[in-house]
Amino acid sequence: MQSSNAINYDYTVAKYFTISAIVLGIVGMSVGVLIAFQLAFPELNNLFGEYGTFGRLRPIHTDGVAFGFTVSGIFATWFYVGQRVLKVSMAESKFLMFIGKLQFWLYIIGVAVAVVSLALGYTTSKEYAEFEWPVDIAIVVVWVLWGVSIFGLIGIRREKVLYISVWYYIATFLGVAMLYVFNNMEVPTYFVSGMGNWFHSVSMYAGSNDAMVQWWYGHNAVAFVFTVPIIAMIYYFLPKESGQPVFSYKLSLLSFWGLMFVYLWAGGHHLLYSTVPDWVQTMASIFSIILILPSWGSAINMLLTMKGEWGQLKENPLVKFYVLASTFYMLSTLEGPIQAIKSVNALAHFTDWIPGHVHDGTLGWVGFMIIGAIFHMAPRMFKKEIYSKKLVEAQFWLQTTGIVMYFTSMWISGITQGMMWRATDQYGNLAYSFIDTVEVLHPYWTLRAVGGSFYLIGVFMWAYNIYKTATSSKAIEKEPQYATPMA
Amino acid sequence: MDMEFIRNIQGWGYVSMIFIITIGLYAYIYHLYKSQRDGVKDYEKYSNMALNDEIDDTLVEAKDPQNDAKDNKER
Amino acid sequence: MFHWLEKNPFFFAVGVFLVIAYAGIVTILPDFMESARPLKGTKPYTVLQIAGRQVYIQNGCNTCHSQLIRPFKSETDRYGKYSLSGEYAYDRPFLWGSRRIGPDLHRVGNYRTTDWHENHMLNPAAVVPGSVMPKYPFLFKKNIDLDTAYAEAETVKKVFDVPYDKPGMPKLGTFAQAKKAVFADAGKIVAGMKNQDVKDAYKNGNIKEIVALIAYMNGLK
Ligand code: HEC
Repeated sequence: MQSSNAINYDYTVAKYFTISAIVLGIVGMSVGVLIAFQLAFPELNNLFGEYGTFGRLRPIHTDGVAFGFTVSGIFATWFYVGQRVLKVSMAESKFLMFIGKLQFWLYIIGVAVAVVSLALGYTTSKEYAEFEWPVDIAIVVVWVLWGVSIFGLIGIRREKVLYISVWYYIATFLGVAMLYVFNNMEVPTYFVSGMGNWFHSVSMYAGSNDAMVQWWYGHNAVAFVFTVPIIAMIYYFLPKESGQPVFSYKLSLLSFWGLMFVYLWAGGHHLLYSTVPDWVQTMASIFSIILILPSWGSAINMLLTMKGEWGQLKENPLVKFYVLASTFYMLSTLEGPIQAIKSVNALAHFTDWIPGHVHDGTLGWVGFMIIGAIFHMAPRMFKKEIYSKKLVEAQFWLQTTGIVMYFTSMWISGITQGMMWRATDQYGNLAYSFIDTVEVLHPYWTLRAVGGSFYLIGVFMWAYNIYKTATSSKAIEKEPQYATPMA
Repeated sequence: MDMEFIRNIQGWGYVSMIFIITIGLYAYIYHLYKSQRDGVKDYEKYSNMALNDEIDDTLVEAKDPQNDAKDNKER
Repeated sequence: MFHWLEKNPFFFAVGVFLVIAYAGIVTILPDFMESARPLKGTKPYTVLQIAGRQVYIQNGCNTCHSQLIRPFKSETDRYGKYSLSGEYAYDRPFLWGSRRIGPDLHRVGNYRTTDWHENHMLNPAAVVPGSVMPKYPFLFKKNIDLDTAYAEAETVKKVFDVPYDKPGMPKLGTFAQAKKAVFADAGKIVAGMKNQDVKDAYKNGNIKEIVALIAYMNGLK
């Protein structure tokens, strides 16, 4: 213990990304709530002229929460967890410090350009890949810088073996890099023709090919942005917060590979009943089902980590966040493969059941993990205790209620609409006109929007709590080893 | 190359990949549990990397044993 | 081997990468090489239609509308013949969509007219009571971006060999020629519309976005 009392972990970059996670979470989710209300009350489309219509705002919502909130959360936790499990401080390398800060500022510029360009209608239309080519280039640079940080820190580590979370971060880095580059291959039209808008581009791929690449990306982006790095988080934050070692470290290694191998093959399942060959579809379905096994490995591992320590669930609200997150993870990894079954998909595809499914994953699993992780990190980064435990509790229950309202209403509305689209009268004619199937959804859409608002209010509570923690909470002398101190 | 041929390769590529992956994964499981049982390697101790992660905590396994006095000797 | 991988993060990374890459290649590449061949009779978009398609994309119509009719009776009864891969050969990007908040539009040109679209785009709920589709009055005010539409056509022609100017295919020609063709096409649409501002603008040499959008939708068959 003698040599290193001069070195401390340096959380500068982690703090930056914490702030961007909070701010972009608020932006992305506020837009989400607005567009949810727009479906229930279409007049709300007219608030900001052309910039406020559903079609313009939806990508800002999806990209805002995926590439804003979630990716910031991933970066923030990496710059915190990475140092700690490798037992090396960013302060030990001026170079890595510089790269980290550069990465942050480029990221912020990229986000700003992205939001403005989407609002103006510059979009490639491909989901989760809407950005036009200049933003894509910025994203690639940010990502490469992150890679430099990861491998740079690993290079100067003290701990010989890489903790399982680091594996997951590496996989995130590589997976996203490849998926993103391939799906965003595009030709800027200005450079070929010498005229027109220089932001505009056309996809390298046409028609069904474009669709195939898009859903290969679409599916795996979910894996590599919404699953893999979040597992990295839970493998660190749950054991650390509860003081319990991971139930089985071996199981964690094994489910890592299970996830890596199997996820990759399921990309085809978004294409069911499209023009893609039959056998690809069948294989894709089967593999989506096999997918449950390894991905549950991690969830089960997490829940068993709490074995004999369930009392903590009462006392420690952060453990609540983590445990509920793993539960939602299980739920949505069960639901996904069910939707991939051909007959179920025939009903569910194009309906609200799909966004419903996406949201129990994103709100319950991704959102709760990032919120919980930042609650854990804040006292250690700011050397203050959490401003209010009561507020954390209240937030937890409000958001949980919100999620339940969200997914129940979306399940019902999705199944209702799917059934109505195919319903026939006694002569075999379609029983409902399209607008009939829209009008019945009004109550569910309202409920969904209210559920979403609950969640958003929770995010504001979170932001306030963290803000107060950083500015006016009681200082802590020594960093707590496990449970996060709260007032 | 005609399309049918490529499809064939794809089919085989797919099947063999699944095959290799499955065998690989199960071999890995075997490797993990065997190493643990035979005392070759204690995987479970790596959990402590998350729990004892202060910068001056004892390392689970030092990367550079010579230079680091804190290395807790392996086995 | 496993031992070694655990200790060599670099090779571990290479391994992960290879697995992902292989998976990608096997699942996608072959389908790719079977390059979506256009169906007989499928033609590239005219420049005016491209402009309309760009309007469609800019306003995220694809966030609410699919363009993919699945081979079920309930779908073909509602929307027409189910969609075939070859029909999309000139779609860059594809616009299948993922959520049908509104109806499928892949064959909307078969059953909706210029006149219907004009009223509907201005105020959907007035035409279809209960509609949750946004109003699009600004499409009647903004001019199309002809340069960018031409740039796109020229790009796909040069880079991807899209058969413009081939026998039986749409003409592209020089920008000046294309512009003339665009005005001729737009004239036919404008003639079927009632909005005076759009008509006046056309007389003064300006084409409004709504005109291009309708040209695009009329071509979806
Ligand atoms: C908020 C979702 C939403 C957006 C965005 C949207 N629509 Fe719609 N659209 C609907 C709904 C719901 C209907 C069904 C009710 C109706 O006909 O108005 C519809 C109907 C239509 C129809 C009639 C189709 C038919 O078969 O009757 C057309 C054409 C159409 N939309 C075109 C567009 C275009 C073009 C855009 C983009 C500028 C667009 N829509 C954007 C929701 C949307």
